Amino acid sequence: MSFMSIRKSVITYENPEVNEEIVMAIKDGLQKRRTLLLIGNCWVDYKGRASSRLEPGERLLIIKEDGSVLVHRPSGYEAVNWQPPGCIFQASVRDNSLKIKALRRKPRESLDIFFDHLYLLSIMKLDDAGEFSLHASEKDMQKAVLLKPSIIEEGLKPISFEKRVDPGFVDIYAIDKDGKFVVVEIKRKVAGRNAVLQLSKYVKAVQAIVNREVRGVLAAPALAKGTHKLLVTLGLTFKSLDPQKCARILHKSQTRRLSDFFATS
Amino acid sequence: MFKVKITDAKLLRDMFQAIAILVDEATFNLTPELIQLRAMDPSRVAMVDFQWPKTIFDEYQCDQPQKMCINISELLKLLRRTAKEETIELSLNPENPRLQIGITGKYTRTFHMPTLEPQEEETPTPKITFKTTAKTTTDGFRQAIEDAQLVSDHVRIEADAEKLTLQATGDLMGATIELKKGSDALLDLQTQEPAKATFSLSYLVEIIKAASATSEIATLQFANDMPIRIDFHQPKEGKLTFYLAPRIEVE
Repeated sequence: MSFMSIRKSVITYENPEVNEEIVMAIKDGLQKRRTLLLIGNCWVDYKGRASSRLEPGERLLIIKEDGSVLVHRPSGYEAVNWQPPGCIFQASVRDNSLKIKALRRKPRESLDIFFDHLYLLSIMKLDDAGEFSLHASEKDMQKAVLLKPSIIEEGLKPISFEKRVDPGFVDIYAIDKDGKFVVVEIKRKVAGRNAVLQLSKYVKAVQAIVNREVRGVLAAPALAKGTHKLLVTLGLTFKSLDPQKCARILHKSQTRRLSDFFATS
Repeated sequence: MFKVKITDAKLLRDMFQAIAILVDEATFNLTPELIQLRAMDPSRVAMVDFQWPKTIFDEYQCDQPQKMCINISELLKLLRRTAKEETIELSLNPENPRLQIGITGKYTRTFHMPTLEPQEEETPTPKITFKTTAKTTTDGFRQAIEDAQLVSDHVRIEADAEKLTLQATGDLMGATIELKKGSDALLDLQTQEPAKATFSLSYLVEIIKAASATSEIATLQFANDMPIRIDFHQPKEGKLTFYLAPRIEVE
C-alpha cells in the first residue's frame, strides 16, 4: 500500500511498491539534483579500487544533491558503503527489485544498490545556507594569540609559531615588552604536570640556542591541582586562556551576506 | 523556441566560466532582446549579474520570454571541447525540455543536456550608495589582488583622492599595494569621501581570474563596510558585474 504525503519541498512515499512509477520518481529526483532518502531491505555491490559485497539487510541509503552516496546500517556512525560527490546515477527495476547504480569516472568505481522492499522514499529540496561554527581548537587558540598577543600579556610580540626545537614544536615564540624571549605553550584543556614539563623542556632547548634568558608561559583554561608548585619551581608562569574567548577573537572578523544589503541603506 | 548562434566559441566558454565561479545551477532569463542571469553563490556572499544583448550573437531567435535552468559545470565540460574558431549553436525546444548544443568546426557534433527546474524568484541587487569609483585595467587589479593573496586571506581596499590602496595583513606577513592616480593600472579614480572595506581574497581571486578572460577594464565601486561592485566591461553593451559582501569587524 503506497501512501504519499507532500510537505513543503519534501515528497515522501511510505511503503511504496517497487515498480516503474517509483523508478520514475527517483529518476526525476536525481535529475533535479534533489536529496534522496531510501529506507528498505537492500544489498550492495562495489567494484573499483577493491570490491565488496554487502549481503541483504535493512538500511538507509542517502543520495545528496551533489551526487554523494551513503549507505548506513542501523548502528555505527560511519557509512558501510559510500561514494564522494559527483556520481552519475542510473535507476531501474527488474524482477521486482530496484537497482540504483552510482558511477564515478575517475577512478572508475561503481556502487550497485538493490532494494526488494522499500519502507520509505523521500525526495527533498533542502535549503541550507547556515554556517557551521566550531569552538576553538588548540590551533585556533594559537591563531587567536597571534592575532591578539595582548591576551597573553601586554607588549608581547610573536616572532614565530610552530617553531621546531629539539624536543618538538614550540606553539608560539615571542619577545616580551622587556625584550626577553618568551616560549608560549597552549593547551585547550586543564594543563597538568606533563604540560608543565613539556614547556620546561622547550624553554631549556631555546635557552641553549639563544644563550640568554627565556621565559616560559603556559596558557590554558586552568592549571591542574598540585602543579602550581612544580611550575613555580621550574621558573615558569601560567596564564589563563579561555578557548571560547579565542573563538570570539577569531570570529571578530566575519563575512557578511549580500542579502543584508538588499534593503535601502 | 529559443535558438542562438555564436561564431566565437571562446567568448561563450569564458563567459560561462565566469558565471560558474559562483553558481552551479543557473537560471537564465531568455527574452526576445537578451539573455540575462542574476544569481548568488550558495553562501550568499557574492553575486553575479550578467547580461548579453542579442547583438553579441551572430543569430538570435527567441519568440517569448522564458526561463532556462542548466547545470553550468556540465555545460562547461562540453564547451571546453571547442576550439577557438568553432561555431556554437544553442537551442531549446519547448516540446522537449533539453538544451541542444551544436558545435561546428572541422566536424560537427551535437550534444544535448537536461534542463532543470528554474528558480522562480528573482534576485534583487544590493542597494548601496557608493563613495568611490575606480577604473582599473583588469590585469592591473588582478596582479594587485594576487600580490595580496601571498600574505593573507583577506584584503582591505581603501581609496582617497589620490590613490587606491590594498592592505593585506596575515598572521605574520603583510602587504601594502598602491595604485596611484594616473598610473598604468589605475585609469580613473573618483572619491567623494575616503572609503575602505575588507573582502575575502578567496572570492576576489576566483572572480577576477575568471572575469579577466572576458574583459580588459574593470570598474570598482565601494563605500565604508559595504559590498563592492565590480563591473567587467564587455563588448556591445554586454554586462558582467559581481557584488561581494564585506568582512566586518564585530566586537
